[in-house]
Amino acid sequence: MAKELRQIAIYGKGGIGKSTTTQNLTAGLAESGKKVMVVGCDPKADSTRLLLGGLAQRTVLDTLREEGEDIDLDSILKEGFKGTLCVESGGPEPGVGCAGRGIITSIGLLERLGAYTDDLDYVFYDVLGDVVCGGFAMPIREGKAKEIYIVASGEMMALYAANNISKGIARYARQGGVRLGGIICNSRKVDREYEVVKAFAEELGTQLIHFVPRDNVVQRAEIRKKTVIDFDPEAAQAEEYRTLARNIENNTNFVIPKPLTQERLEEILMEYGVIDI
Amino acid sequence: MSGLIEQERYACAIGALQTVVAIPRATPILHSGPGCGTMIAGFFERSTGYAGGNTSPCTNFSETEVVFGGVNRLRSIIENTYKVLDTDLQVVVTGCTADIVGDDVASVTDEFLAEGKPIVHVETAGFKSNNFVSHSNVVNAIIDQYVDRFIEENPVRSEKKLVNLFASIPYQDPFWKGNLVEYKRLLEGLGLEVNVLFGPFSKGVSEWQTIPRANFNILVSPWYGEKIVKHLEQKYGQPYYHFRYLPIGANETTRFLSGVIDFANEQGAGLDKKKALDFIRLEEHAYYEEIDNLATFLLEFRYGLPNHVHILHDAGYVVGLSKFLLHETGIVPKEQFIVDNTPKEYIEQISADLKSTSDKREIPVYFDPDAGKAQDIIRHTSHNGRGLIIGSGWDKELAKEKGYDFLSASLPTPYRLVLTTNYIGYTGGLRVIEDIYDTVLYTYK
Repeated sequence: MAKELRQIAIYGKGGIGKSTTTQNLTAGLAESGKKVMVVGCDPKADSTRLLLGGLAQRTVLDTLREEGEDIDLDSILKEGFKGTLCVESGGPEPGVGCAGRGIITSIGLLERLGAYTDDLDYVFYDVLGDVVCGGFAMPIREGKAKEIYIVASGEMMALYAANNISKGIARYARQGGVRLGGIICNSRKVDREYEVVKAFAEELGTQLIHFVPRDNVVQRAEIRKKTVIDFDPEAAQAEEYRTLARNIENNTNFVIPKPLTQERLEEILMEYGVIDI
Repeated sequence: MSGLIEQERYACAIGALQTVVAIPRATPILHSGPGCGTMIAGFFERSTGYAGGNTSPCTNFSETEVVFGGVNRLRSIIENTYKVLDTDLQVVVTGCTADIVGDDVASVTDEFLAEGKPIVHVETAGFKSNNFVSHSNVVNAIIDQYVDRFIEENPVRSEKKLVNLFASIPYQDPFWKGNLVEYKRLLEGLGLEVNVLFGPFSKGVSEWQTIPRANFNILVSPWYGEKIVKHLEQKYGQPYYHFRYLPIGANETTRFLSGVIDFANEQGAGLDKKKALDFIRLEEHAYYEEIDNLATFLLEFRYGLPNHVHILHDAGYVVGLSKFLLHETGIVPKEQFIVDNTPKEYIEQISADLKSTSDKREIPVYFDPDAGKAQDIIRHTSHNGRGLIIGSGWDKELAKEKGYDFLSASLPTPYRLVLTTNYIGYTGGLRVIEDIYDTVLYTYK
């Protein structure tokens, strides 16, 4: 029987740690024997650096620009940590062209080139912070990613962003099968962070799928262009990412989120002391 | 609410590339998909001009330009245009994709401007407006980015008898060429000098450069083009004389010209009024001689001629033709259809202008760009006597269905060849009469 491919998109406020979290958790999945592809959907093209050990990766769009549509899949799909397959969509230079269309173009090209093979267990899309236009919603359109996880912290702006992203998900969920699988808290060590993110997730109708504590080993590993699991498999933080990977592997809680009103969001933030009154 | 409309009788904003095509020795440069230029060249027939139609340079904006931006491609197309085409003015018009992506077109044209090239850019994305509207944007862009460069040599309002004329939209008005020539002839007959700006009887860019010298502007239009004269009023302090519909036949042409004489002299043009009125009298004389000649024909065929008309056209034609046909041929305007997507703020004035045609007869008028709907109304309306439809080639079948006579006079015109015919003025009125009664006579066996 063919394996069922799980396609997962990771969203969240810019700078919240989407790429770091995605790579560390996919390292956990790869370590447990899963076949994973990571598609970076950010013009900055820094979504697969830790899995590839810093290997310079040509992006799909750069290749497309220089060589045209007749591209060899091997030139854009590189193998990283424990057989993870890594692709960067890339994008135009800042301030010109349309990066959103770039993502649509490059995912379309990956499909045509046959990147989605039967032996894959997971495809992860690591998407630029804010879903600013239709292009950045590409991974959750047209029946691609059916599962979404939002990376957030207990900080106010991160929760605002998560709530906004939920509005987008709710819109696409009505048309297709996309569902929210949970909130991943990437801790910033703010007061009562676990409680506020948990309360927020529940209010959205979803779950806090894992609370990833802050640990400087992540930064140490990043400097060495590695995920924590690769850099220090015995570290407590490596175990946190393995837990996150397991929780995602075993997750059955998929919902259409119920975005909060601005007032309700602020109430929660006040309740937990994020906004002082 | 959005909905479907049928048989739009104008083009999207990039259709105003024809405004450029109509200027002698000017070329549009399309920063758009290849389909845009083809669509425009196809919609406006015989639309090539000096360097339009299939000669127009185009960046063929495609996926690579969408993702990475198209400015490099635009730069190379402009460079190559200078190698291949010998033109006096280049106007970059942008299509939807370039404007959505947000290409910085001005930064590219500025590079060529720095080399002294006569280049202009203007946003003509179809999502912004249609060609009735963007015609004004193109003209204003040329004024601001090109004409203004010659302001030192062209002191503002320095020629008391010179006027700039803004009337027919080139190519959107199928009779634009003939109309502009006739306006020029008539206004020169009054003692004025006229910048017509478009067509073979304008002097191309050298004429455009003298726009500021004109004492005042003349706008013959119900609404389109008003942005140009308002812009010039604000920019060079030129007042404008506004005639809100097309002067067709003797009554309205005399009214138009008399208005111009008074306005011109108020502005210090110093026209010899007696000489100007003599000119009008001579024109009228020639006109009525033909009407006189027509009397026997009209009497003989009085039971076999159309007695009512439906017109599907822009507001300027609908009002102008209604006034002409009722008062100068006796054909009664019934339901009229203004299909130019008239902006709301002009509807009241246009309705009043049409209403003033007669204090005895109410002329029902519909403002709707959906000409399919207009056809449905005609289809389900009936009046006594022989009917006439004046519209586009798309109305031919409807006329056949109704057993009406049909005159093709608006875009698209697949069943009629128009080269230099004019419908405005005294001679234009006679030509309308010829055209209507020709189609009638053609049906006699």
